[in-house]
Amino acid sequence: MKNKTYNKKKMLVVFLCAVVIITGLIGRLIYLMIFDAEYYQKLAQDLHEREREIKAARGEIVDRNGVVLATNETVCTISVIHSQIEDPELVAEVLAEELDLDMQEVRKKVDKVSSMEKIKTNVDKETGDRIRNYDLAGVKVDEDYKRYYPYDELASKVLGFTGGDNQGIIGLEVKYDEYLKGTNGTILTVTDARGIELEGVAEDRIEPVPGETLRVSLDYNIQAYCEQAALKVLEEKQADSVSVLLMNPQNGEIYAMVNVPEFNLNEPFELNNGVDPDSLSDEELQDELNRMWRNGCINDTYEPGSTFKIITSSACLEEGVVSLDDTFTCPGYRIVEDRKIRCHKTGGHGTETFIQGLQNSCNPVFIDIGMRLGADRFYDYFEQFGLLRLTNIDLPGEAGTIMHKKEDIGTVELATMTFGQSFQITPIQMATTVSSLINGGKRVTPHLAMAVLDGNGETIEEFQYESQDGIVSEETSETMRMLLKSVVEEGSGKNGYIEGYSIGGKTATSQTLPRSANKYIASFIGFAPAEDPQILGMVVIHNPQGVYYGGTIAAPVLRSIYDNVLPYLGIEKS
Amino acid sequence: MERPAKKSRFDDTLIAVVLILVGIGLILLYSTSAYNGRIKFQDSLYYLKKQGFATLLGLVGMAVTARIDYHRWIPFAVPGYLAAVVLSVAVMLFGDEYNGSKRWLSLGPVSFQPSEFAKVAVILFLAWLVSRNVKKMTKFRTLILVMISILPIVALVGASNLSTAIIILGIGVIVIFTASPKYSPFIWMGAAGISFMAVFLALESYRLERIAIWRNPEKYEKGYQTLQGLYAIGSGGLFGRGLGNSVQKLGFLPEAQNDMIFSIICEELGLVGASVIVLLFLVLIWRFFVIATRAKDLFGALIASGAMAHMMIQVILNIAVVTNTIPNTGITLPFISYGGTSVLFLLLEMGLVLSVSSVIE
Repeated sequence: MKNKTYNKKKMLVVFLCAVVIITGLIGRLIYLMIFDAEYYQKLAQDLHEREREIKAARGEIVDRNGVVLATNETVCTISVIHSQIEDPELVAEVLAEELDLDMQEVRKKVDKVSSMEKIKTNVDKETGDRIRNYDLAGVKVDEDYKRYYPYDELASKVLGFTGGDNQGIIGLEVKYDEYLKGTNGTILTVTDARGIELEGVAEDRIEPVPGETLRVSLDYNIQAYCEQAALKVLEEKQADSVSVLLMNPQNGEIYAMVNVPEFNLNEPFELNNGVDPDSLSDEELQDELNRMWRNGCINDTYEPGSTFKIITSSACLEEGVVSLDDTFTCPGYRIVEDRKIRCHKTGGHGTETFIQGLQNSCNPVFIDIGMRLGADRFYDYFEQFGLLRLTNIDLPGEAGTIMHKKEDIGTVELATMTFGQSFQITPIQMATTVSSLINGGKRVTPHLAMAVLDGNGETIEEFQYESQDGIVSEETSETMRMLLKSVVEEGSGKNGYIEGYSIGGKTATSQTLPRSANKYIASFIGFAPAEDPQILGMVVIHNPQGVYYGGTIAAPVLRSIYDNVLPYLGIEKS
Repeated sequence: MERPAKKSRFDDTLIAVVLILVGIGLILLYSTSAYNGRIKFQDSLYYLKKQGFATLLGLVGMAVTARIDYHRWIPFAVPGYLAAVVLSVAVMLFGDEYNGSKRWLSLGPVSFQPSEFAKVAVILFLAWLVSRNVKKMTKFRTLILVMISILPIVALVGASNLSTAIIILGIGVIVIFTASPKYSPFIWMGAAGISFMAVFLALESYRLERIAIWRNPEKYEKGYQTLQGLYAIGSGGLFGRGLGNSVQKLGFLPEAQNDMIFSIICEELGLVGASVIVLLFLVLIWRFFVIATRAKDLFGALIASGAMAHMMIQVILNIAVVTNTIPNTGITLPFISYGGTSVLFLLLEMGLVLSVSSVIE
């Protein structure tokens, strides 16, 4: 039973085998941990890291003078991480008190076994900071941005608002989303296999790039003043809605675009007409909201009525079928084919020149000159003035013109079209077309966005807009300015007159369809100074109660606006 | 306290290495298992407590065994072996299933893994059997007969735990190899073994699948564990993430405290730390070798050789599996992987070897 030499030899063989194999395994380890390390580390990192998005701050919207119309406020989301909570009682107590929540509800969430439970979102920063200062284990305060509109209702339908993902929903917010939204960043955090973030492990961050600032042509003061004026007449006349549009007829910049009733941009899903949302089905509520968000100046069409006589006049003067001292007779109506088309003055205007016809807004005069022009040429001018195209304003959802087909225009259709009936256009189309007829024949693109600025207010990009020259001759344009000035100074637009200012304009009163409903739209277009228009304004009152004449109720609104805005814009009295 | 006061002729290096490995083992086990313990049992210390209890028991057992003359175990060689067979049958009939294998016998609150006991029993049994028949060991027939004598336990253990059966078989082969003056029969046996493995693997397609997974762990769902182990090893780099900082143990590598614990060691301690652990095992094996060569008689030498065989097979196979050097098979890392029975009987085995070392020439 001796431990013999051969036994020892064999033990040595076994031991050496062990040494060789173990050395080989260390070699294998070196290979895996040095040469393959990068490969496996990368795979492991991909497995451990979770990407969490950091929202980029959305770009601001500022008015032409830099007044901030849309910005962001920091809000906090408060959540609890069950596994990290040390004192559930205290956590529930503090959160319930600070967030003004029911203690039992909070406690339920605190006790729920889940990776992360949201307690409350959209908590203001101050409260969030206070909660953070308690330094409670397991309570997480995440900061986030929320769109904020400092002036609530101001230009609501123009600016628009954003949705939960920070994307624009209507208005400029959606049109210029690309510029405003910025680029979200990411936080890469390390988690365990259940996806729970590990404390104390360094995070990789890709910083978000904030959105760019959009400078628009709106002027906060003008917009605010126009909104007040519109609200005033809305209440006085118990109208359905009132739109006010102020623009620069030379370059298409829009100073103000008002559609009252406006809505609160900070609460865009609350109805502004007092209807209880609970009484509506989801579909009805959505319809109501869509109606509330509509921008009447661009999304809706109407029959322009007598303001359209500016266009008829321009076409006929340009074509030379009428001269200023041609005389006409108005018996209070005109028979066209078998139809008797009335003038607004039942007794008739009697004998009058073309100038007086425009001042009186006399329908028979315009039927006569329209007949001289003929349907074909009338249609051609309609097209030449740009009325069949969109204005291409930089807001979403511009409505197109609703117009007869060229071959369907008979004498009756032509007659009604001369004074702005039987077809529909948008208010912005009307204002843009009139602008081009009085500015020397340059069709401008109405617009709001002027430039994109970086965070320091430096201009990154200025927007350029198309314009088309020569849609009417300078001569005709000058004549029109003179004629429309006389309408305000001597004719139906005299309520738009302001002592010392030279203002051109035209009134309109149109009946909405169906005619039997006896609903009217009163409107007025006015520009100043009449000789060299720097501003063009338009007031449209939908369904006013009582007196509904444009000259009586719409012209004074623009006059009160001009009373303040003309001096504000530095337009001198002549 | 393991160091006897009167005669200090135990192998000090062996004691030191065992104690270091046991200590490091507990620390690493805690680091690896704390997360799983917290998730499954709401107690980070769950695994450490159980392992710690078994370790204490084992250390006491080791101290006692070391002081007992190993020859006193000779009468227990056959009954011990038979007990292992009986327990293996019992586990097949009454065993608890865990992760799909029946490996545990429950005795009240204590659960016990008979296959761990079987390893020690086989070492003792073979040492006794071979040293009694040492003169006939030159004959090929004797070699075969001795091999056949351990086949029942190999088959019984292999029914539920193939890896342990391989270890037992390996211990047997090495002990017989050590005892025999010849080399050639073992070359034949090796060749036979390899062809047997080939047939064995080809017989069941799932075993071939293991090979496919081994070659491309990324492509198979069942390669998940292997791949996660490689992620952990690769993440370690030279110096590791630092003790306690493994991410892979946080549920990515399932049951990280078991067979795959070495990959977490690589992740936390890096190449340097992992190499130190491997070298500690190598020192351990070296001491077994030294004790085996210096043992007073063949019986003692074969006990030490058996322990050496046991330790080297298990360490080599474990690290080879974890590093995906060979196909995946469940083998624990001695002293470090979670398993109370394993650490208990390992320490008893160390006690036996220490007893051999106390009377070396």
